Amino acid sequence: MENKMSHKTYHRSKTVTVFFLCMLVFLGLAARLVYLMVFQSEYYSMKARELHERERSIKAARGRIIDANGKILADNKTVCTVSVIHSQIKNADEVVEVLSKELGLSEEYVRKRVEKYSSIEKIKSNVDKATGDAIRAKSLPGVKVDEDYKRYYPYGTLASKALGFTGGDNQGIIGLEVIYEEYLKGEAGTILTVTDAKGVEQDEEGEERVEPVNGRDLYVSLDINIQSYATQLALQTMETKEADRVSILVMNPQNGEILAMADVPEFDLNNPYTLPNGMDASAFSEKKRQELLNAMWRNGCINDTYEPGSTFKIITAAAGLESGAVKPTDTFHCPGFIMVEDRRIRCHKVGGHGAEDFVQGTMNSCNPVFITVGLRIGVERFYSYFRQFGLLDKTGIDLPGEAGTIMHKMENIGPVELATISFGQSFQITPIQLATTASSIVNGGRRITPHFAVRAVTMDGSDSQSFTYPVRENVVSAETSETMRYILEQVVADGSGRNGAVEGYRVGGKTATSQTLPRGSGKYIASFLGFSPADDPQVLALAIIHNPKGTYYGGQIAAPVVRQLFENILPYLEKK
Amino acid sequence: MAQRSTSRRKQDKGEKFMDYSLLFIVLFLVGFGIVMVFSSSSYEANQKLGDSTRYLRQQLFASILGLVAMMVVANIPYHFWERFAVLAYLGSVVLILLIIPFGHSSGGATRWLYIGPISLQVAEVAKLGMILFLSSLICKLGKGVRSNKGFLIVLLSPVPVALMLWQITNNLSSAIIVMGIAVLMLFVSCPDYKRFIFLALATLAAAAAVVFYVVQTAQAHADELDFRGGRILAWLDPEAYANDKSFQTIQALYAIGSGGVLGKGLGQSMQKRGFLPEAQNDMIFSIICEELGLFGGIAIIIMFLLLIWRLMIIANNAPDLYGALLVVGVMGHIAVQVILNIAVVTATIPNTGISLPFISYGGSSVMFLLIEIGLTLSVAKGIRLKDL
Repeated sequence: MENKMSHKTYHRSKTVTVFFLCMLVFLGLAARLVYLMVFQSEYYSMKARELHERERSIKAARGRIIDANGKILADNKTVCTVSVIHSQIKNADEVVEVLSKELGLSEEYVRKRVEKYSSIEKIKSNVDKATGDAIRAKSLPGVKVDEDYKRYYPYGTLASKALGFTGGDNQGIIGLEVIYEEYLKGEAGTILTVTDAKGVEQDEEGEERVEPVNGRDLYVSLDINIQSYATQLALQTMETKEADRVSILVMNPQNGEILAMADVPEFDLNNPYTLPNGMDASAFSEKKRQELLNAMWRNGCINDTYEPGSTFKIITAAAGLESGAVKPTDTFHCPGFIMVEDRRIRCHKVGGHGAEDFVQGTMNSCNPVFITVGLRIGVERFYSYFRQFGLLDKTGIDLPGEAGTIMHKMENIGPVELATISFGQSFQITPIQLATTASSIVNGGRRITPHFAVRAVTMDGSDSQSFTYPVRENVVSAETSETMRYILEQVVADGSGRNGAVEGYRVGGKTATSQTLPRGSGKYIASFLGFSPADDPQVLALAIIHNPKGTYYGGQIAAPVVRQLFENILPYLEKK
Repeated sequence: MAQRSTSRRKQDKGEKFMDYSLLFIVLFLVGFGIVMVFSSSSYEANQKLGDSTRYLRQQLFASILGLVAMMVVANIPYHFWERFAVLAYLGSVVLILLIIPFGHSSGGATRWLYIGPISLQVAEVAKLGMILFLSSLICKLGKGVRSNKGFLIVLLSPVPVALMLWQITNNLSSAIIVMGIAVLMLFVSCPDYKRFIFLALATLAAAAAVVFYVVQTAQAHADELDFRGGRILAWLDPEAYANDKSFQTIQALYAIGSGGVLGKGLGQSMQKRGFLPEAQNDMIFSIICEELGLFGGIAIIIMFLLLIWRLMIIANNAPDLYGALLVVGVMGHIAVQVILNIAVVTATIPNTGISLPFISYGGSSVMFLLIEIGLTLSVAKGIRLKDL
């Protein structure tokens, strides 16, 4: 009995020890719980939320592109994406039947996707809204119709190379669409939904929505009426002259706003990946197809350079007058050629222009006169004027891929090179560079930045942001500018540019005919640059015809194009 | 002997002592377990089986069966079981051996025997069997248990069963529990502390050596580690193995941590919706924490502590050593299992499959636990009221 009692005593104390040991461990575990559930709670809650929430984005509507008259050039159209969610489908046969019928797809195609075990399977995208609504109205379990925006260009091919188009995710690919991506694209919204591990939404948990911010509308200086007419003229000219390409650029020389930029052939913005007529995409390799597309999208007005020829005499004349190397009253004699070192450079008039003053020399587009002026200015001065006029820099136009000027290095210019530069050969510039430089010379000497975008406005109109562009004053003196306007008006009134004259309007301008490289290929570029009114230019147009058949003189075929354009748009612009 | 006769006399007079505190605590835990099994399993059961009450019904059935068995055992004088000591030991061994030809697999481990419609997890039988066997053995040894020889006999006798559980049923956790029960019973029956402190230190050193070995091997050639080695690595750096080895641990931590102080509310767990697989099993405590918060989690820990306290009271007032040892065995079983489970769920120790007594889904577990409580109640009936 006593034995038993002693047993009991230490048994008891040891059982109590066990209990307290347990209590100690339990306390430790409770402390661990406090650590996890109080101090680490935020971290694990965040991790768990990340795990449970699924993010779906709500697309923002892309800003529209709107012309000077308020006409919409680039718009959004609502399209639908039809998908199926495998786990939610109740009646697979019905789903297959309805979808194949409504979407015009084969039953096998739809069935394969309906029966595929995946969380969400896309059946068809870019379904028009009416069809999407019809499918949604049937409210089939497991069928999802999501709305999406697709870019739509109401005018199809019009100003295609300037406007550009967007890709699959509605991001700009070329043109204004890519330059103003930041303004146009807006910000996608999100829907956060809570789902189980398989992605099934938990309705009772609700959803969190962040509304999308739509893109801003881009108001551009492009005038759809002028653009249409310019495009029409360009197409007509391309056809009648059997030319490769015709570019017409219309801008406001006072502020650099571009009113029209046509570069035919253009392409259909709503089908930008369709190759030009008669070309079968499947006949080419992937690389070749891309090259053809790039060529089709290329904007000749800014992406390509050319030898400007006689239109460049505007710049030579301005440099000559500004430097004092020549006065309008200076007299010259043209025997039909001029010797520069040992080279005999011919004038386009074989018999020569005889005695003429500088104004007449310009009216005649006489090469020996301009070579003489160029040689008088000298390499260094000429070069510094190029720099001053902005010829050596890009214009800064708001389109992607502007090409730079290809000019001799100053130290490589000898008298012969200087002579050829004087009448616009042996170097290359872009049409936009020529038009911009000519604008600066005739607008009183302000180097303006050519541009399309005027302002970006939120879709509800609550906020408007105007774009400003750099202007450099006094690139030529007001006096030189005035003289240039006078001389160029004479060119049109009674000189080589008389085909550019418009009855009732004062027009100034300059013609050009340049042979393309290599010389002797028989290919020419005919061009005419005109502006009006000649005393206070409000509009400047440059027409360039690449490789015309038959008559190829700028004064004969390009001047009439600008004349027809001016006949139409000058009264229109006056009314505005 | 005197005590036994008095208790009999008491029973004859109808002055049966029923430990209602213990009964209440156990009923609470079982009831709570059924609620939590339903809460944590219904979503997945509905998704996978289209039957949200499948696990609830099975658990309810096993619990009722267990409660009936508990009441039957509680009314059988516990000395009735003394004669089955060796049978309990041998029965456990035979059942484990039967796993080799007849075992059923679930979740990659073969631990179940099917007897008609009832599935039986043999480890649960072995735990009860070990309590019965060791109580009897220690009584037989009497003072002899204090000698080194007796000490070793008690310590080594459960080793074959533990080894078989580990190797045949691939169930290291049950092997640890069996050994834990044995050590605690031995601890209570020996007056000294020295040998136990040594034993504890040796175990700690062995554990540290294993961890050290695993880390070394992982640095040299990770592919040679088995899944337990991987679990140790995953325990050391759970976030690094979040997609495979420590997936369950990480998901449990998300559940616990996102519960916060007050929890998301009963039934509101997100982790049970497929993120934490089989949430009603070993990891159920994490769902309790997620739904009922820190308060719920600590309340459950307190309930278990109360249960162990009641078991201690009963053990210390048991009419004889055999009764006391039976209750200490039950106490050891529940304590070790609760501690290991909560430690695993909170990533305090490496992951090993271990269920939370009375609460985790599992018919065998809840039934055998209730039978053990029945034994305890039977011992409690022998207590003279004036002893309390």
